[in-house]
Amino acid sequence: MIVVATNVTYFLANAFLKPASNYLALRPPRTTEQINRSLALYNLNPDKPIMERWWHWASNILLHFDWGSSPTGGNVNDQIGYRALASGQLVLGSTILSIIIGVGLGVFTAARQYKAADRAWQGLSVLSFNTPSAVASLAVVLVTISLNQSLGHSLLPVAGAQDPELSGFWPVFGSRVTHAILPTISLTFISYAGYHLLQRSLLLDNINSDYVRTARSKGLTRQQAIRRHGLRTSIIPVATQVAFAMPTLFTGAVITETVFAWHGMGEYFTKTISTNDVHGAVAVAAFGALMTAIGAILADIAVVALDPRIRVS
Amino acid sequence: MAINMPGVGPDVDGIRPEEADAKELEGAGKPGKRLSPARLYMRRFLRNKPAVVGLVLFVLLALLALTGRFFTHWNYEEADFTALTVSPGSSGHLLGTNPAGNDVYAQLVHGLGRSLIIALTVSLLTTAIAALFGATAAYLGGRTERLMLGFVHFLLILPSFLIIALVGTHFRGEWPVLVVVLTIFGWMLTARVIWSLATSLREREYVMAARFMGVSPLRTIVRHMVRNIGSLLIVTFTLGVASTVQSETALSFIGFGVKQPDISLGAMLADGQNTLSTAPWLFYLPAAVVLLLTVAMALIGDGLRDALDPTSHSGGRA
Repeated sequence: MIVVATNVTYFLANAFLKPASNYLALRPPRTTEQINRSLALYNLNPDKPIMERWWHWASNILLHFDWGSSPTGGNVNDQIGYRALASGQLVLGSTILSIIIGVGLGVFTAARQYKAADRAWQGLSVLSFNTPSAVASLAVVLVTISLNQSLGHSLLPVAGAQDPELSGFWPVFGSRVTHAILPTISLTFISYAGYHLLQRSLLLDNINSDYVRTARSKGLTRQQAIRRHGLRTSIIPVATQVAFAMPTLFTGAVITETVFAWHGMGEYFTKTISTNDVHGAVAVAAFGALMTAIGAILADIAVVALDPRIRVS
Repeated sequence: MAINMPGVGPDVDGIRPEEADAKELEGAGKPGKRLSPARLYMRRFLRNKPAVVGLVLFVLLALLALTGRFFTHWNYEEADFTALTVSPGSSGHLLGTNPAGNDVYAQLVHGLGRSLIIALTVSLLTTAIAALFGATAAYLGGRTERLMLGFVHFLLILPSFLIIALVGTHFRGEWPVLVVVLTIFGWMLTARVIWSLATSLREREYVMAARFMGVSPLRTIVRHMVRNIGSLLIVTFTLGVASTVQSETALSFIGFGVKQPDISLGAMLADGQNTLSTAPWLFYLPAAVVLLLTVAMALIGDGLRDALDPTSHSGGRA
């Protein structure tokens, strides 16, 4: 499936992006022939039949794992390798956080259905669920800036992935962590609510079922019964939800990375499209598909681990 | 509270006509009075306070988008070079200006209208396509059904955001193009949900009867299957508006959606991003409008689901 999606993106990118425009602004002006000759170096010559270019591109990936190069000669592999790590760190961190917060809140509010706490949290979740990621990340920046100004020194950095002047393992590590806090907060804010609302309604369906009541009658407290028996069955659909949430999280990350100048895949994605970088855009698509696949596999593992009815041989 | 469950309220059918007339005269809302479906839905919807708040908000926003431009003499495209980046309320600009001297209020009204048009059209089109596609797949069954579902699954795994951005840049941010691409890549998930509902409808007697009486498939699909998932479609439509506003905002924000000189809420947010610390009103005004719009739509959608779904108990009885 990843292969098919990547190939379709390759043809679409070739149809809609014009790598030649990178050379049109050069002075002295170049003829079409000159431009095409430089593009041919990077397997982007528009005169060559698309199937030939595709074959060249696909065989390079299969044989050398070489994802091609941008119209001006930059290597896509180098970019992806570095950016995938930065992005993965952000996306994985906020996914884990939002699952923990979402499920935790779901259990907390389901146990207190229609009480004040339930209503308050639900209102907040409806609000955050419908916040566009641009608004969420900019709001986080705005709050931090005003905090920084009122405190007189900068509490948390609002841009970049790390401080470029630092060296040594621990200072760099610390700097990366502090830089990651704000983007993670804004990503978590837009994605936790889905898990919260889903978990709450699922747990409410289960909370009065026979096995929870049996557990109660065997002497467990209400909290214990909900946690050990009700939660276990009702968390399964949430786990499958994670797989489908990955692509949306990826789009959210595009915005967040743009706002926080985080040099990850999302920022690379906007850059490849605005600079007509065919190979780069396709590589981003492949990365997105891979993320979705990883999410799906993780969800499957979680379901198998949780559901007592599924037996793995 | 009116109860129209058989056996619970006074038996209307058992009452003789003259007594029924007397009952009628006692006024609406008394036990025994039958409610038309529309009034029943209305009553359930109005009982849901957040949904009513959402509806009021949405009506106000729509009114602002329609009539807002009559309250200012500024045009959204025109730049006032005597007032660059002034804060709200000064120099005759109601909500201030941006660094290029555009009136923020005029831009806001125009952007809201643009976002609303895009969201409403896309949501309407995707819901219609999804309903027809899902119901057709369920009605035809067999190999065709598997083929159609395979197509949906294939489209679902495509990186749609990326493709929309690709096409969007190619056409230089014209909003009708945005409507087309958002529609093309927006209907699959709904179609899948509708398909799973319609498979159960396919086995119903009235669909069977239509099939055996030789009613044409298209007619059966539209008149019997689509109509019977109508309530779901209305809910999908409202929630679709909220999610389309989000996609449009995201695309315009990173520069692949609506572009200058046209303006949408996402494009305004992108402008506001650069002057966040010096001119924060360029950010929080469009942000507030986007939030109000999406939250209002979500609340309406929730309220409609509770009101239209016969199995839901969240709307209270009746």
